[in-house]
Amino acid sequence: MDKLKENQAAYYPGCALLTIDRAYNNSSKLVSKKMGIELVEIPDYNCCGIGEMKSKGAASMYMPLRNMMIAKNKLGSKNLIMACSVCYHEFSRSITRVKENQNELSAVNAIFKEAGEFNEEYIPDGEARHILEFLYNEKGVEEVKKNVVKPLKGLKVAPYYGCLYSRPSMYTFTDKKPKMDNSERPRFMHEFLEALGAETVFYGNEVQCCGGRNVVQDEETSFALCSQTISKAKKAGADVIALICPKCAGALDVNQPKIVEKFGKDSKLPIVYLTQLMALAFGFSKKEAEFSDMISEPLKVLNEKGF
Amino acid sequence: MALEKHDNKNLGGGRPVAEKGEHIVARHLIEDDNIKEEKNLVIDGVDVSGRWNTFIISRVNSDFDRSFFEEIKKTVVGSRINRCWQCGMCTASCTVTPLYRRFNPRAFIYMMQLGNLKELKKYIDVAWRCVGCYKCSQRCPKQVNPAEMMEALALVIKKYFQEEVKTKLKLDEEVKKIYEDMIIGHGRLDLAKLHTSAMQKSGKTKELFGKIERGAILKMLKDGRAFSVLRLGKPHNWSSSKEAIENYLHKLNTIENSEAGV
Repeated sequence: MDKLKENQAAYYPGCALLTIDRAYNNSSKLVSKKMGIELVEIPDYNCCGIGEMKSKGAASMYMPLRNMMIAKNKLGSKNLIMACSVCYHEFSRSITRVKENQNELSAVNAIFKEAGEFNEEYIPDGEARHILEFLYNEKGVEEVKKNVVKPLKGLKVAPYYGCLYSRPSMYTFTDKKPKMDNSERPRFMHEFLEALGAETVFYGNEVQCCGGRNVVQDEETSFALCSQTISKAKKAGADVIALICPKCAGALDVNQPKIVEKFGKDSKLPIVYLTQLMALAFGFSKKEAEFSDMISEPLKVLNEKGF
Repeated sequence: MALEKHDNKNLGGGRPVAEKGEHIVARHLIEDDNIKEEKNLVIDGVDVSGRWNTFIISRVNSDFDRSFFEEIKKTVVGSRINRCWQCGMCTASCTVTPLYRRFNPRAFIYMMQLGNLKELKKYIDVAWRCVGCYKCSQRCPKQVNPAEMMEALALVIKKYFQEEVKTKLKLDEEVKKIYEDMIIGHGRLDLAKLHTSAMQKSGKTKELFGKIERGAILKMLKDGRAFSVLRLGKPHNWSSSKEAIENYLHKLNTIENSEAGV
């Protein structure tokens, strides 16, 4: 595979984005391209471990770092961009840990050596970057404003950051590096949405948890947390909730019919991805932004509002 | 919004908030017998009825097991257990604690520091409920990383309470197994398969054919997403990575070793 050109960036899709959350994947690529950066998928990626490998020592770090090695060897890129917050967490966790701990680095390198896929050792010199932070810092709010052709006037959006985009700062370096978001009160998504012409609402659950990690084994907890978030956003007058993580979508969007069944109509609100709204404002059609993929039916609201 | 069911008869499972000492924060950590309450109490001529007449009898814990502490410190997730100074910020920020009062990260870390297996055993049924939101790790003033300490707790429980794991944590263990088989075995995660097999394991096979699930499956069949799941495949040469990971896990001399637990 060819090395990257100047306006290209190495991109890690992850398992969810290539399958059921393709709307997030495709709209991320559309939006980035419009803003002047082409996302190039790394070949032969493997799962990041989605938090289920943590109790397995250095093996949990091998999973994401293998992808960093691919990006370096095949695409010549030290950094890797991803849209999924869980992947972002796993990557930044592994990179930070091996940077700070020589024992863990050599344990990971021992696995690399045994697998024999790469001729070199892993050196922690790259970074994992979340697409929201990447676009904000590399292109900026002005670039978003420039590209808007169909402002989202009159749309009230509740930005939902979830957990792992801004937390914990020991891995993501929120608060610690000048260009990073705030960990307790992130604002990058707010600024993007306002640049699109939409109105953001304050509802207090922006960085709360959706219980997504235990969504298959502990529905009860996840449903209670999601119902709280959705009903708070609804009370604050939001038309839609904007997400930046497919795991949050799994809990808030895919499970929404079940949550409504349990907690009533207060827990019913359309869910969209931030990048879908950006694509819509950038002039792509609703079909291209794949709003119909969402189970919570955001198309209804968008049609009503005349977008 | 507590989800925990209070069962007055079953003291081992859902412990009731008894009338005795009910205004004590984290009441569940104290044995009933260790609380002394008088209806009317006068000390030095001062009437201290009401809240002031609740006393907790101090207890002496002599069966420390420091080897246990070292065992946890050797793992990746529990390597910072020595830093904790018990401020309770983790419990105060916890997402799960308001829903399940008995889920108390600070107390779990304390029990792990002391090697107090007798106490830990009482919390097997809630210890796995951590949602991994990392609020605790964000706010911890000593960077103990309590969120990952809960993973260490799971390792400890798996090693020392195998019987309880088989009965009380059956579902959690089975779902974990599905994840591991997919992640280590295939290198990628098949979300559709994960969802359906987890539903079957939790005995919700009926719900799988219910209206809501059927609607979602039909929708994904219609727009083609169901087929992209089938096309996901494996990374090339994954078998070499798989072998290397499995070898690593077998060679470990900590409780992370895949054979130490099961």
